[in-house]
Amino acid sequence: MAEVHVIGQIMGASGFSESSLFCKWGIHTGAAWKLLSGVREGQTQVDTPQIGEMAYWSHPIDLHFATKGLQGWPRLHFQVWSQDSFGRCQLAGYGFCHVPSSPGTHQLACPTWRPLGSWREQLARAFVGGGPQLLHGDTIYSGADRYRLHTAAGGTVHLEISLLLRHFDRYGVEC
Amino acid sequence: MTTASPSVFLLMVNGQVESAQFPEYDDLYCKYCFVYGQDWAPTAGLEEGISQITSKSQDVRQALVWNFPIDVTFKSTNPYGWPQIVLSVYGPDVFGNDVVRGYGAVHVPFSPGRHKRTIPMFVPESTSKLQKFTSWFMGRRPEYTDPKVVAQGEGREDENAEAEIPRSTWVCLCPSPAWLMLPFCPQ
Repeated sequence: MAEVHVIGQIMGASGFSESSLFCKWGIHTGAAWKLLSGVREGQTQVDTPQIGEMAYWSHPIDLHFATKGLQGWPRLHFQVWSQDSFGRCQLAGYGFCHVPSSPGTHQLACPTWRPLGSWREQLARAFVGGGPQLLHGDTIYSGADRYRLHTAAGGTVHLEISLLLRHFDRYGVEC
Repeated sequence: MTTASPSVFLLMVNGQVESAQFPEYDDLYCKYCFVYGQDWAPTAGLEEGISQITSKSQDVRQALVWNFPIDVTFKSTNPYGWPQIVLSVYGPDVFGNDVVRGYGAVHVPFSPGRHKRTIPMFVPESTSKLQKFTSWFMGRRPEYTDPKVVAQGEGREDENAEAEIPRSTWVCLCPSPAWLMLPFCPQ
């Protein structure tokens, strides 16, 4: 079986209108992939920037996959939330990006979006907070049923991911 | 060139914690340590260190320079658990107590050669305003009992952190020839 190591950090996020952000991340793979070591999902700490506007998490990612096929190449998905001084959480954006497929270190910038509701919901969100959220998390990384959504842009999640591949040449895959 | 048997590979890290930018604080020292997985072990060098205390330069740069050497070699059979360097910066507060000014962590670079990294630092923050005032007054800020938690992903959801932008800059060189014989796809 071929093996893939995904090692890196979720560095932080920029461009969000809210400060005090945290991120729930996960990785989705196809049926042929098996996670040998590492945790498949996690949540960062809440970060409040003191200088500048970028929130830094430096959240480590270390995953070791074994795979029998290329289908379902891993995708990282994120939910960025903001937390206010009362401890309430509000969605700031959803985003996903594919894990790179060439070995080496990559800087990734993943754009995010959030669902807009009706004008009433948007008004309520501006005053009271809250706002619509996805019922099913897999819409973040899948294209099916997206046509039903009306969304607005959020900020960008920055990652630095390094990839190590092993035994791909045995299966005739050039890397 | 590559052998079929499970191979031990070496990772040699040479470098320094060069300097930091902390606009609000002065007279800082830093500690570094390495966090790595179960398949890794240090074979040479020091995996922890404490630097000197440095003050800001008087010129326009306002630089805090440590130039603190890092010299360690790891051996492993598995890239999982790739070492991370964890930096903690401490300094005196208004009352003279030693308080933490920032924690940061980054993976050791993955490719041989010269790398420069700037690490953002963050401090844990109390969630209640009263506790924030009390901790400022008493000089007992929220601090990690073991800075190595900064390099771990689990359990972070219960923390709040303020981030200062930069940070420690450090340079790392990994020229060990044994690293190039890994049975992994080269870049």
